[in-house]
Amino acid sequence: MNHNEWLERAEIYALGALDVEEAIQFEAHLASGCDLCEHHLRETREALTLVPRSLMPETPPPAVKGRLLAQIGDEAASVRPARPRPRWLWWGMSAGAFAAAGLLITLSVSLVSTRQELQRLEGQVASLQVELARREAPLALYTAVINLLRDPSTRDVPLRGVGPGAGAAGRFLWNESGEGHLFVANLPPAPEGNAYVVWTAAPGMPPRSAGVIQTDASGKGGLHVYPGRSDHGVEVFTVTLEPSGDVSAPTGPTVLASK
Amino acid sequence: MGAEPGHDPVLLIQQIARGDREAFERFYNRYASLVYTLALRVVHVRSDAQDLLQEVLLQVWRQAGSYSRDRGSPEAWLLTIARSRAIDRLRSVRRRDRDLLPTGHSSAPEGGGKVEGRMAQSDARLTLHGALARMPEAQRTVLEMAYFDGFTQSEIAARLGEPLGTVKTRIRAGLQRLRELVGAKAPEGLS
Repeated sequence: MNHNEWLERAEIYALGALDVEEAIQFEAHLASGCDLCEHHLRETREALTLVPRSLMPETPPPAVKGRLLAQIGDEAASVRPARPRPRWLWWGMSAGAFAAAGLLITLSVSLVSTRQELQRLEGQVASLQVELARREAPLALYTAVINLLRDPSTRDVPLRGVGPGAGAAGRFLWNESGEGHLFVANLPPAPEGNAYVVWTAAPGMPPRSAGVIQTDASGKGGLHVYPGRSDHGVEVFTVTLEPSGDVSAPTGPTVLASK
Repeated sequence: MGAEPGHDPVLLIQQIARGDREAFERFYNRYASLVYTLALRVVHVRSDAQDLLQEVLLQVWRQAGSYSRDRGSPEAWLLTIARSRAIDRLRSVRRRDRDLLPTGHSSAPEGGGKVEGRMAQSDARLTLHGALARMPEAQRTVLEMAYFDGFTQSEIAARLGEPLGTVKTRIRAGLQRLRELVGAKAPEGLS
């Protein structure tokens, strides 16, 4: 993948619209320390602030502010010492006053420290939540595939390799709801700058793009097609090698075909 | 914006991190409407949007110390938190609605369910102006579906019946337009 493709992903990631697998790959790329992508992501997020600013502003009820201020007041109170000290202690002896001042300073430092620790822990919780979401994402995909398999109306369509894809094989689980999942094996990664585009077609109808499938170094890959395409009577499934994923009709050689 | 002494949002966040409630109140006054408007557009229910506003600002109070201006403006930071929480809630409602559907209705092709149904019930007047309103409809639609409705690019392509590449192109064109409005340049080789 050339770096412009990572930059394109950065934009769509900022929008929250990358599909799960691509998002995970992009996060791994970011974690590798790509300053260019980090910068582009930041700029895109700044630009996206214009989106909610394009809505006519709504004013929240004042009660929300009241509840919130009460809540943070409770939180602040919960980390303060609860028991006030008797007044005579403060006025009794100068030595005692010094000791009390020292105690107050210690408590203040302790409070700041506690607050920083709390923030650190909350930061860790937030990171764990992100990590959990990353781990749950593949699970959601597996669940979607299992649900497809459970559905008696789902067809299991074999695909065989042809042309440049001879030697490859695939299985397309397809449901008339328009949801499906394609598995492929022994299909080498698309050459630099090219893409494997998946097509579905009903008899007498032009093929429709179902997305781009990527394969790893071992030739394996998968693509989940989400419902809502309102495809009915799909009979033909093909994968073609295209100059880009942005094509509205097949132009390149077929590498996998159902028939 | 933000130059008025005592109202610089970066300074406010630093003060909030030190437990300054007055700074927090000023921060709330400055951003509450923006967060609430965004939340309402995503979840469509006022009570849910109010809960989200409270959750988001509480997160600001608790995590102000983790904010770094190197990672973006306070507004971008705040809106990223707000949108993320709102979309989480939206998806949670969608999952719940889907689980409640009887067997045999395993998918809602138009993203349906009660979430979208609530849009019609909402009395929110979330009309558009500014940057989005001046954008070509095709670009605006895909940006709105992603940003406000939480759909991925593949889901958008499926729902619009368009090739994924077309959806990507529209998203990128829309984002480019927004970047131009805020004066940001695309990196070399990406236009």
